[in-house]
Amino acid sequence: MNHEHKISNWDLIKNGLFGENTIFRMAISLCPAIAVTTSLKNGFLMGAAVLFVQTMVNITVSLLRNFINPRIRIPVFMLIISGWVSVTDMTMAAFAREAYRQMGLYIQLIVAFASILARAEMFANKNKVVPSMFDGIGMGLGFMFALVVISFFRELLGRGTIWGYEIVATKPLLIMLLPTGGFFAVGILMAFFNWIDIRFYGGKGAGGAGGH
Amino acid sequence: MTGKDIIKITLNLVIIYAVGGLLLAGVYAKTSPIIFIKNKIEKEQALKKMMPEAEKIDKVGDWELWHKHAEYFEAKKGDEVIGYVVETYGKGYSSYINILVSVDTNFIVKKINVLHHAETPGLGDEIETEWFKKQFEGKDLEHLVVIKGETEDKIQAITGATISTRAVTNGVRDGVAMLMKKYTGESEEDSEEVAE
Repeated sequence: MNHEHKISNWDLIKNGLFGENTIFRMAISLCPAIAVTTSLKNGFLMGAAVLFVQTMVNITVSLLRNFINPRIRIPVFMLIISGWVSVTDMTMAAFAREAYRQMGLYIQLIVAFASILARAEMFANKNKVVPSMFDGIGMGLGFMFALVVISFFRELLGRGTIWGYEIVATKPLLIMLLPTGGFFAVGILMAFFNWIDIRFYGGKGAGGAGGH
Repeated sequence: MTGKDIIKITLNLVIIYAVGGLLLAGVYAKTSPIIFIKNKIEKEQALKKMMPEAEKIDKVGDWELWHKHAEYFEAKKGDEVIGYVVETYGKGYSSYINILVSVDTNFIVKKINVLHHAETPGLGDEIETEWFKKQFEGKDLEHLVVIKGETEDKIQAITGATISTRAVTNGVRDGVAMLMKKYTGESEEDSEEVAE
C-alpha cells in the first residue's frame, strides 16, 4: 500500500462527515434522507442505526476481504449487510424492547441502503480492519449528521416542534413534512454545503465522486 | 474462466453463505423464544391497559375485516362481564391501522389504542397522540363521526391527515358495531353513513 502519505483515523472520520458525506457530497441513499427525516428523533435514530451497521459491515468485509473471490464480492457483501441487520434486529427485539420499538422499523430498512454497500466496495474491500472501522464510523457519523440537519429543519418548519417539544404553536410550513419538502430541504442544504466548500475551500473537498 | 474457476468460485460462495446461514440460525434460535414470550406479555399488558378495572380479559372469538384476522375479548370482574375489548383495523392512507377498542356493556367507547400503523410521519402519525385518542372516550356509535374543524361531541380530524383520522374512526365504528351485533343482535345500518 501507499506509505508516503498516511491517512490518519481522524482524517477518515472527517472525510465521512464532510469530504465524502453520503448525502450532501456523494448524493447516495437519498431515499432515507427524505423518507425518515420528518422529525429530528426519526432522523437521529436512523442515523444511529446506520452508524452501527456501517461500522460492523466495514469491519467484517475488511476481515474477510482476502477470502472473498472478487467475482462474487457483491453477493457476499449483501449477505454481510443483511446478516448484520438481521442480527441487530433480532437481538434488539429480544433484549432491548424499548429501543426496538423506537428503532426497529429503521433497522430493517438499512438492508437496502446503497451507502452501506458502496462503502464496503469502495473502502473496506481494499483496506485493513482499523482504517475500515474508522471509515465506517466516519461515514455513519456523516450520514447521521446529514439526517439530523435535514430533520431539524423539516420538523421545525413543518411541525413547529423540535424533538417533539413545541417551539411555535402552529405548523408554519406543512409542506416541509411531505416528500416535496424533503426534496427542497435536501437540495437547499446540499447547495449550502457546496457553497461553503467553494467559498472557503476552493471546491477541493468535493471528492469528485458524485453520481453513484 | 475455466471449469475449475467456476467450481472454486461456487465453493467460495457456498461456504460463505453456509457459514452466514448457520450464524443467523444460531442467533435466531437464541432470540426467537425470548421475542415470543415478550410479545405475549406485551399483548397481555396492552389488553390490561384497555380496561384496568377488569380482573381478567378472556378471548371469546375471532373476526375478520379487510381480510385481516382480529380478535375480541370479554372483560370480567368476578363473574360479571363489565365490558368488551375488540381488535380492529382501519384502512388508512398508506397502511392498515391496527386498533384496540374497549367498550362498556352499553357499547360506549372507554378507550382506544393504536397498536400498529405506517401512516405518514408528521401527519398521519398524530393518530398516536393522547389528544386524538382521548376524543374517542365516551362516544357511542352515532358520535363516531369525523368532522373537519372544531367539534364538541364528534371526532375532530387531524390537520393534513383526514384519511388517517377517518380510518381510525371507521375502524373503531366497525369494531363496536360488530360487538353490538354479536351481543345484542341489533344491526346498526342506520348509522353507517360516514360524514365527509
